[in-house]
Amino acid sequence: MHGNTSSSHSGVSHSGSGALSHVYIQYPPLRCTISGSTGLFYDDGNKLLISPTSEQVFSWKTVPYSPLVAPTSDSICEGPIMSIRYSLDAKILAIQRSNFEIEFRNRETGETFSQKCRSETESILGFFWTDCPICDIVFVKTSGLDFLAYDSESKALFLVDTRKFNVTWYVYTHESRLLLLASGMQCKSFTGFQLSSAGIIRLPKFEMIMAKSDANSKPVLAAEDVHIVTVYGRIYCLQVDRVAMLLHMYRFYRDAVVPQGSLPIYSSKIALSVVDNVLLVHQVDAKVVILYDIFADSRAPISAPLPLLLRGLPRPKTLSRSNSQETETLEANNVSDHEATIYGDGWTFLVPDLICDTATGFVWKIHLDLEASSIAISASSSEVPLMLEFLQRRKLEAAKAKQLCLAICRALILEHRPISMVARALDVLVQSYSHSIKTGSYFKGIKAGDHPHSGLQQESSPATVAGESTRRVDAYGKSIKNESGTGVGSQISTRPSDFSTSDSEEDNEFQPQKIRFMDLSEKGGKKVGENPLGAETSGFDTQPSPPKSQMVGRSNSPLDSHASELLGVQATSAAISPAEMYSFVFAPVEEEMTGDPGYLVGIIVEFLRSANVEKIKVPPNLYVLTVQVLARSERYAELGLFVINKNEAVDVQIIEPSKEVALQLLESGRKNLQTRKLGLDMLRHLSLHHDYVLLLVQDGYYLEALRYARKNKVNTFRPALFLEAAVASGDLEHLAAVLRFFSDFIPGFRNTSDHSTYCRILNEMSSAIAI
Amino acid sequence: MGMSSAVTSNETMQLCVFDLRRGQHEGQELDKILFFYPADLPFSTQLSVIGLSEGLITFTRIFSPEAACEVIDAERHSHVFYQAEPDIWMVMIVEKNKELEAIWRSDALREVLKEVHSLFVMFYGPIRSLLEKEPGGGLSRSRLYSFIMDYLSDFLVGKRLQLPSFRDCLRERGSVQMLTISREAAIEVQSLVRVLESCSGSTQCCSLIMFQDLLVSTTLSPDDTINLFTYAVMRLAPNALSSGASSWSYLRKGNTVSQAVTAFVGNSRSVSEQISGSHDTSPGADRNYNVAGPLQHDKWSKGKDGFLVTDVSGVEVSSLISATPTIWLQQKEERVYLCAYQHRNLTIILLVPVNSIVNGEQGMSLLKQQVLENASLKIFKVEEKLSKGWGGENAYHVSGYRYLLVDHDRNVSRATPPGKVTTLAKESLLSMSKLREEVDLEKGQAKWEDPNHEKELEICIRAKNNAWVIARVSRGKELYMVLEKANETLLYASDALEKFSNRYCNGVFSLD
Repeated sequence: MHGNTSSSHSGVSHSGSGALSHVYIQYPPLRCTISGSTGLFYDDGNKLLISPTSEQVFSWKTVPYSPLVAPTSDSICEGPIMSIRYSLDAKILAIQRSNFEIEFRNRETGETFSQKCRSETESILGFFWTDCPICDIVFVKTSGLDFLAYDSESKALFLVDTRKFNVTWYVYTHESRLLLLASGMQCKSFTGFQLSSAGIIRLPKFEMIMAKSDANSKPVLAAEDVHIVTVYGRIYCLQVDRVAMLLHMYRFYRDAVVPQGSLPIYSSKIALSVVDNVLLVHQVDAKVVILYDIFADSRAPISAPLPLLLRGLPRPKTLSRSNSQETETLEANNVSDHEATIYGDGWTFLVPDLICDTATGFVWKIHLDLEASSIAISASSSEVPLMLEFLQRRKLEAAKAKQLCLAICRALILEHRPISMVARALDVLVQSYSHSIKTGSYFKGIKAGDHPHSGLQQESSPATVAGESTRRVDAYGKSIKNESGTGVGSQISTRPSDFSTSDSEEDNEFQPQKIRFMDLSEKGGKKVGENPLGAETSGFDTQPSPPKSQMVGRSNSPLDSHASELLGVQATSAAISPAEMYSFVFAPVEEEMTGDPGYLVGIIVEFLRSANVEKIKVPPNLYVLTVQVLARSERYAELGLFVINKNEAVDVQIIEPSKEVALQLLESGRKNLQTRKLGLDMLRHLSLHHDYVLLLVQDGYYLEALRYARKNKVNTFRPALFLEAAVASGDLEHLAAVLRFFSDFIPGFRNTSDHSTYCRILNEMSSAIAI
Repeated sequence: MGMSSAVTSNETMQLCVFDLRRGQHEGQELDKILFFYPADLPFSTQLSVIGLSEGLITFTRIFSPEAACEVIDAERHSHVFYQAEPDIWMVMIVEKNKELEAIWRSDALREVLKEVHSLFVMFYGPIRSLLEKEPGGGLSRSRLYSFIMDYLSDFLVGKRLQLPSFRDCLRERGSVQMLTISREAAIEVQSLVRVLESCSGSTQCCSLIMFQDLLVSTTLSPDDTINLFTYAVMRLAPNALSSGASSWSYLRKGNTVSQAVTAFVGNSRSVSEQISGSHDTSPGADRNYNVAGPLQHDKWSKGKDGFLVTDVSGVEVSSLISATPTIWLQQKEERVYLCAYQHRNLTIILLVPVNSIVNGEQGMSLLKQQVLENASLKIFKVEEKLSKGWGGENAYHVSGYRYLLVDHDRNVSRATPPGKVTTLAKESLLSMSKLREEVDLEKGQAKWEDPNHEKELEICIRAKNNAWVIARVSRGKELYMVLEKANETLLYASDALEKFSNRYCNGVFSLD
């Protein structure tokens, strides 16, 4: 039974996160199917998928991607269509009708006109709209380039500029604005232009590398073997060398094209996608995908090749049980027909992250499974810092990446990893945050109300600060109790086998039921046999099976929902502020950790070191936590070292002074006078006169308090406070001194009831002594 | 120093340690004596000194059972008492002689007694437990003898013992001197501390880091910190190692250690070697080796790997070659290995519980290897950082001031560097010494009256030479200063103190 539980548990984690794939496509697809369609075209300038019929053209927006998007349509004239693109302002539809002619149609007026080649010797290879200042559209012809501008007055195109080259074929992506023109016998000589809004940049001519199978053969480079790829805002060209089975990489600079090494390939057909700046190399023949994070110098893949998964596929009726009634039979059947077509022949890869299945008209968006890929990184290199770096670079699912980073951090600390390793991990996070602050990306995604510091700036009441750290009201004022304990922290481990997360949220977005045919079949007989529907249906499982419900609980305490709930809006950066580090790492970890406070202090010290290097301010509650941890383990001497480091004109404390810290020192100092004094000194140092005076009185130093109050002009206290203290001490002289003090320094004190009351007490006391 | 050479060492000072629980029967009086200096005094004289002391203790205990007498000031001698352990007393008798500058502050002398006892306990454990284990007391006596003689040798100037006198009034024995470091360096140091402590794996070890003769970091209890710091300054710090002489000794140490001392120490070592290994009954006692004559000079040297090595007494035949000495920590009441590493100016002392290291020396060499592997880089970095920030010998000199700053809460003191103190006139120093004596008295009384209320105190004296001699006590912190060539008004003196307080003491001594 026990074995059962564990095996099914690992099953959950696998099926949940798709641990066998770090890249997946999500069912349902965008269906670009129209009866009578004559083909599918991708307009990458407008990110439209276009399907023309004989008299109409339908277009689907792919950004933002939604399977439910409805097509828009335009009517067109009948005729052959070689290529079709809307102008960037979407006013004109351009259709290449033949090698010599392009037809333009004004969408508002319906007027059309044509542009033809001037000579018979040249033919049009293609065209694209551009936002570069001198022209609106570029024709790529075998004889060179024509730059044309559209004049809305005359409703005609006129030639702005022309460049003469021999062009065999060309590659262009709107994303990079880069145009590569191939020429030469082997088509490996390139001329490049970048037509950006800043103007036209001509790149130096360069040659691509082609291996020869033997001395005489001269392979010819084909257009489909050259890919322009944009990652991290950098433009690369990747060229497939079929002979060497290598993917050569070139990076474009304004004045140079620099080879960047090569990646091995395992399939003669290669396709490339970019998801969130991660390069996906589809080995189409092998039906696997390899991920690269082309950021650092390393050209090592993120992970071993793994298949592309289709997720969220409804289970066909034949395989489902009682709860399958809700599944639409028709759709299930429909899908099961195409379910096996992953890396099918009809697949066309669109820049940057779309797949169009020309056979079915389905358009899929490729998703990256951050959890799975980060596990893959850690599994392949066992380098947690590398994994964090990877996650920190993710923009698409920044909130999720952030949650993962936090979870990884917690796990590192809870697992007592060597301090040096945790330190490097913290360095990564702090540097990333520092960078995001400098570039401003950290604040971009965060609305004013959700500003991470806004919560922290609330003046904490003494009780809150002095109290237990368990009262963790996070920066957003929400309770985060879900998150501790068996929550994400313990769930996510840096060991792949322990990884159990769920993508159920994503599934739920699109379909109410979590029945996955794919996963089941992938799992093989073992699991299915034991527990036919297993965890796939766990969300709706009515069987009261205790171990399973526990699993459900675990797999359902999710990263995603937290991400949205806790971090509010989708952050555009995965950067983690020190305040968040406190709320989501140090505070929860401190609560969970048992024993070895020295280790936690060590981690905090490393964090402070990182923050200090990057000149980042650390929230006071982290210092408060440090004081708590040190005091709880009675390391008062060390606490002293943290708080003061012999005063010499400048403050050199590791723990920066703040009221919160001072109050914590006073609280912790109940058992240790020296620590209490540190708190008092800090209050005075911060010129928190009122608190300082009150505490002095509380400790019985009322005369000192009076002197201090007078010197610093503190007049926010009641005289009775001091008078009471003096009476309590039973010292006649002191009481007289205090009375005198107030009589002298507070105008009108002699007329108050305090004065008369305490004068009487004084007289009684003195007469008592006289007797 | 222009001292009369007519006086022999034997006549200036007597020091004895005795146990009131021993020798209570007639004829066994000698049994009380655990240590007597000078040792060559006839037993009758020794007994009469101890008898007088014992009588005084017994008498004063009638009135004050908790704290018997502290000092007797006779016309020509001062007797300074210190109860080191219950019923184990140390008494120092010094001759007063104005011409010879033999003007003492009794608290300073008591601090000497306290220090030697604390150090002894650090290496051998409490005297009482030694005596309990070995009722004859032979081993205890020989250990005390060699240890105290070694300790006293630090005070030898020529053939004369020179104890802390009024000239040392701007010094506080029994406190730690700390290095001021930047926040960045402080974080680096703390980071190093954690790495060091993680080297011992799961076992809890403590560390103490020093830069030259100054403390940088400690994770020991305050008392243990003082003891280990004192010892490290005396024998382990780079200065102490290289010169073979104490850099910290208040007075310049003479090169000639008296023949008698050397001879005796040599003798005692063989004694202790014979008996060692059987004296300690704590678990794993058979592995507890002491430094042979821990206070002897030139006992430590720096090994090739940067670790400091010493001779260790009581190597057992069966065990592997043992090289790591152990000390006794008061707070935790356990024996720990003392493992010291030195990189240039930085001395790092790691203390690992003996019980936690299963296979003794092998475990220690593993630990050392761990330190070298994991912490080397950090150590170098910290050393470099501290060296850069270090202001040199006179870093804590404040021109115009001669001061002593004591923080009793943290057992930390800072003072004008000794070289600068010597520029003061004798008159100023005498006044300060006297003033400190007053403050000592005042503090003692205040403590007696209300131990929970710390007294505030300020005294300004215009000395005969027109110097201002000032003492200010405020909530556990004390500031003493001498202002020579200062303006004559009290206001000026008070302002000077205020300025100093604001600038260097966070305003702790500012007159509120």
